[in-house]
Amino acid sequence: MTGVVGRSVESITAALRAVFTAEQVAATDGFLQRRDPRVTLVAVAGLALAVMITRTLAVTVGFAGLTLALAWLSAVPLRRLLARAAVVPLVSALIVLPQAVLLPGEVVASVFGLAITDAGVAYVVLFTLRVGVGVALLSLIVLTTPFSAVVAALRQLRVPVALVWVIAITYRYLFLFFDELQRLILARNSRTKGEATLRGGWRDGRRVAGTFLLRTLDRGERVGRGMRARGGARPPSPYRRSRSVDAGDYALLVVAAVAVVGSGVIRWGL
Amino acid sequence: MEPVINAHGLTHEYPDGTTAISEVSLTISEGERVAVVGANGSGKTTLQLALGGLIEPTAGSVDYFGETTDAEAVRERLGVLLQDPDDYLFNTTVREDIEYGPAQLGQSRETAARRVEALADDLGLNGLLDRPPFRLSGGEKQRAAVASVLAFDPDVLLLDEPFGAVDATYRERIQRRIVDHDGAVVLFTPSLDLVPAIADRVILVGQNGTIAADGAVREVVTDRSLLAEQGLRPPPTVRLFEGIAPDDEVPLTIAAARQSLLNGEF
Repeated sequence: MTGVVGRSVESITAALRAVFTAEQVAATDGFLQRRDPRVTLVAVAGLALAVMITRTLAVTVGFAGLTLALAWLSAVPLRRLLARAAVVPLVSALIVLPQAVLLPGEVVASVFGLAITDAGVAYVVLFTLRVGVGVALLSLIVLTTPFSAVVAALRQLRVPVALVWVIAITYRYLFLFFDELQRLILARNSRTKGEATLRGGWRDGRRVAGTFLLRTLDRGERVGRGMRARGGARPPSPYRRSRSVDAGDYALLVVAAVAVVGSGVIRWGL
Repeated sequence: MEPVINAHGLTHEYPDGTTAISEVSLTISEGERVAVVGANGSGKTTLQLALGGLIEPTAGSVDYFGETTDAEAVRERLGVLLQDPDDYLFNTTVREDIEYGPAQLGQSRETAARRVEALADDLGLNGLLDRPPFRLSGGEKQRAAVASVLAFDPDVLLLDEPFGAVDATYRERIQRRIVDHDGAVVLFTPSLDLVPAIADRVILVGQNGTIAADGAVREVVTDRSLLAEQGLRPPPTVRLFEGIAPDDEVPLTIAAARQSLLNGEF
């Protein structure tokens, strides 16, 4: 499929499929990779919670620094981390952008007759940064811990089976569906030529979307059988990847606990 | 020998009205090697899914190990390999996929680890264990899928075209794995070429989804008119020795044919 729509679909598909390369990072040696998966899950999710609690730019920047430090210690390529974490905050920024003119404050600039206030800018920057750091922290879990270890850790942490099931199935199906989409695009590209117009691209996109829906339903059913053939009808029970909790694990848990409490204290006071 | 699978009057009709299999009754016994053959679209895959308890037949039932008609109750004893490895490999790495069955079916991690290691060695998967399955070639995916079904050592193997896209070296290794398997093996294939080397019984699924023949390998693979009627052709040696050796003496495998020629039998 050619044209803007086709290229966009291909880019999104490629980006989502690239998540699988996270497994290669997870297999390397690094700080988070050496942690017990339960500790990684609890501590990094705790840090993300602390970021969500905070409303202070300096604290958020501090968490961003901590995130980058964790990524560096875990041999996670920073470009990959930033690329993975960039989409959600950019979309968030678009959503909260009107606040730049809606919030009252000192006018710092005027665009098309709209007064941009300092409070508005601060709000947009802080919100976007908080979302970005939160997403980057959660990305660190996926980048440094094999997915089956995450599922096993969720089970060990007594997260309800139904929720673990939903997470496990969603994760697997999401990528299988995009795999199917990429096949569809490849099959189409092999029988098309020339650059499509924008209109042609949309028309192609509509056709592909219809076929994609039918194929994913069929594929979903077949993969479901593949899972059931190997016990997939039973609750997810991958082998545990936990190990004895060591000083590094405790240190990470302490940092996370201090971060959550500190964020709360700074925001709400003692 | 005790029956491990006993199907009675299996019929399956798809929502579009296509009847894939019709009134199929068969018994697979402990340790038996059976090839289910048939032309494309004859209903082999539907029969495999119905025998494996992965689709609900429109009519009929399957009894497993003389104990139950619920396949889920004996899932750890049934190794069902689907035709398309992409439907079978859905985990993030090959290792996770091979471990998936043993883990879900409650086998110990140590046992699974030993089996994963042995299978990876034998099927040439050692360098691929930490790679995502979608990055593998067609033959590599097929080998990973075969390893995934063998990993939990089921009592019955129901394998739908396990050799697709696999090169000659690994085809032989998979074949050896199947032949050496302790339990029953049911191989679903549209080609009779490898059947004599693996099976001792052939079930021929006719083009209307019924069983057209069920008998010893020699009896079925030398029945040229029956095979032609069903859109199949005999194994290479049967074609080679046509008019040279009588049907009850024709060598069925390449090795047997070579030996016959060396002995000057024909």
